[in-house]
Amino acid sequence: MLKQAKQERLIWLDIMLTLLTLELMAYFYYGLRALVLGGVCITVSAAAEFISLRLMHKRFTADDLTCTSDALIIALMLPTVIDYKIAAIGCVFAVVAAKNIFGGRLNMIFSPAAAAYVFLLTSWKNQTLQFTAPHVHTGIFEKATGLVTSASHSFNLTGEMSVSDFEILMGNFSGPAGAVSILLLAVAALILILRGDISGGAFIGTISGTVLLSYLVPMSGGMVDSIKFPLVTNMVLFAAVYIVSDKRIAPRRHYYAFFYGLFIAMTSYIIVLTTAKENAIVIVALLFTPIALAFKNLEKRIDDLEIQALSVAAQKSEITAEEETEAAPEPEEISKPDDSLDEEAFDLPEFSINEINELIEAEHLADTDEEQNAEEVTGDEE
Amino acid sequence: MKNKKRSVFDGLLADNTVLSSCMVISPVIICGDTLRNAEALAMAFTSITLLSVLISSFTPKKLPYAVKIIIYAVISSLIYIPVRMAAQEFFPGIITRIGIYFPLLAVNSLIVVQTETKFFRMKRLKMIPTLLFYVAGFVAVILITAFIRELLAYGTINNRMVDADTLISGLSQPFGGFIFLGLLCGLYRALRSLFSSEPATERE
Amino acid sequence: MFLVNDFIALLAANLILTQALGTSTIFIASGSRRKLVFTTLVITLFTTFGAAAAYAVDRFLPSQYNYLTLLCYTAAVSALYVIFLVLFYFISKERFQKIRRYIHISAFNCAVMGTLFTISGRASEDPALMNIGSYVFAGLEAGVGFVLAALILSAAFHKLNSAKVPASFRGFPAMLVYLGIISMAVWALK
Repeated sequence: MLKQAKQERLIWLDIMLTLLTLELMAYFYYGLRALVLGGVCITVSAAAEFISLRLMHKRFTADDLTCTSDALIIALMLPTVIDYKIAAIGCVFAVVAAKNIFGGRLNMIFSPAAAAYVFLLTSWKNQTLQFTAPHVHTGIFEKATGLVTSASHSFNLTGEMSVSDFEILMGNFSGPAGAVSILLLAVAALILILRGDISGGAFIGTISGTVLLSYLVPMSGGMVDSIKFPLVTNMVLFAAVYIVSDKRIAPRRHYYAFFYGLFIAMTSYIIVLTTAKENAIVIVALLFTPIALAFKNLEKRIDDLEIQALSVAAQKSEITAEEETEAAPEPEEISKPDDSLDEEAFDLPEFSINEINELIEAEHLADTDEEQNAEEVTGDEE
Repeated sequence: MKNKKRSVFDGLLADNTVLSSCMVISPVIICGDTLRNAEALAMAFTSITLLSVLISSFTPKKLPYAVKIIIYAVISSLIYIPVRMAAQEFFPGIITRIGIYFPLLAVNSLIVVQTETKFFRMKRLKMIPTLLFYVAGFVAVILITAFIRELLAYGTINNRMVDADTLISGLSQPFGGFIFLGLLCGLYRALRSLFSSEPATERE
Repeated sequence: MFLVNDFIALLAANLILTQALGTSTIFIASGSRRKLVFTTLVITLFTTFGAAAAYAVDRFLPSQYNYLTLLCYTAAVSALYVIFLVLFYFISKERFQKIRRYIHISAFNCAVMGTLFTISGRASEDPALMNIGSYVFAGLEAGVGFVLAALILSAAFHKLNSAKVPASFRGFPAMLVYLGIISMAVWALK
């Protein structure tokens, strides 16, 4: 348990470091406002986390600081010139509606950052999808002028990007502050995968899906461009690292995680191709949450079966040979995770079941005069 | 099953149709975005449900369950006709605003399900005030929901502008209705557990 | 490619995610695999056959009597209700006791009636859809959409009812927020 908590904190620390480097890059291109936006998001998220945990009669611990990484992800997906209030509402939504209502970081269902981004996109579409050009620094309390659409928007419509490879790598094109720094994102992805902080399977699946479809159904003229542009636009790389490959959401096994990432990438690519929907990958990642949950349920069952098979094998070997029994792991040790699985899978509270039962009370009512009812309806007489 | 003593006021708070039983929620989610819609829906719901349940209560209890349900549905569909005509006469825009949710009120769970499980198990004298409070509970929820959603999503109260500079337009959409109602439902339960003598195990 | 587009179109036309029709019923359906299979199957039967009956009503009921539409739909669903009860009774008397509760739940609710009114509304806007094929297909599509929404909910059922969820939000409130967020993603794709 302690080891797991430590690992969780290390993951958060690694992710925060990579996000902070992206934040620095955003500062370089968009000025102090990018940092202030990040600060606002972090402060609001931490405050929302603290208040909501107190309301749930839970203690705010160091582990709960993971909300700050989600806050930074949200900040980096938004234009730096967005109204602070809108960003703050997004952060509150992420912490309260997308996370703590479902039990917080111990029972994650959605990626809080993805849910918050889609919420902002549906409520403030223009503010979420209009940016200042790189190197245009807006004052902290200044109202932005000369807003432009993102490079992804023009790519989705025309299939072209009038930006050099070097500029693409450095993130010198209009778009969300954190999602355009391709070189940094690639390095961050490599580091996070090697340190086991994100799901490698999901990341590779996402990239493979995008590459595969951009090869099969290209959006641009040349082969290289048709593969390169879909990867660097529409927040594909950013979402692949911080949303799709989020270990809290993605399936645990690389095999399933790969397909989870692959499905998301392929679906979002087709949506971009057919509807020119900007940043579709974030929306699709949110929409595919039930698939991630289904994969996780499947993993639990497989684990369950494997553990059962192991314990049966251990019991058999215990009976047949003493030497083998010594070598076999303790049955208690094996059955531990099994119990926890059962506990989690069947911890439906009684009152919840009662409520459902209340709803179908009508069906039980029919049971009181069972035979008579059925026969009267069907006209069958005894 | 807990053997709780039922009060005639239960429908208003303790056993609210929408917040406690999660019934008749689709009109609240879809039409509960403005006070005008909510008022229209409340009037339609009150008249259809009250009249339908009252008339249905004269149905012989010995009939098979399926037959009784059909009779209730037919009665409420018949009640819908004069209610619709009256609505067209006195509130001309009501049918357009509520759309398909107006006829759907005739097959709402309060009429089709709760009649058998709750109302018709009571004596008529107790049933009438109980039913009134259940209807009042629904009306209260839809009005509160509509008031807050209209204020936050459109910056208006009953179509009158108020000074709100940041509007959350998503709240006016069905998904906003789902999320808002979920939050309201949770808040209601938290308050209910605070003020009731429910065991602490149900709390966090 | 077409499959993905069809899948998105199915989600976008989903009556639960976009119109909240039959939400209470879906909460019951997602409770267990058995309930999910039976409830969604029976609702699909009702929406498909009900749509055919709705076509007959829309086709032959004069427009000046359109206030009788609900009564006619109720009569049609009532007839289907009795037919299905009789049919299942004669198919298997033993299983009938278990299956009939799903018929009771599925007959009169917003999912079925809402589907019929939605299909009718679409047909009145677009006369090309005023044929039995379109009605039945739309009814079947609504049923499939219901199955899809039930699957979406059942994938998270254990998590939404877990002891880790705050007591006030456990169950229905969490389910509503969960469906709301999924519905939001569908809305964003429109």
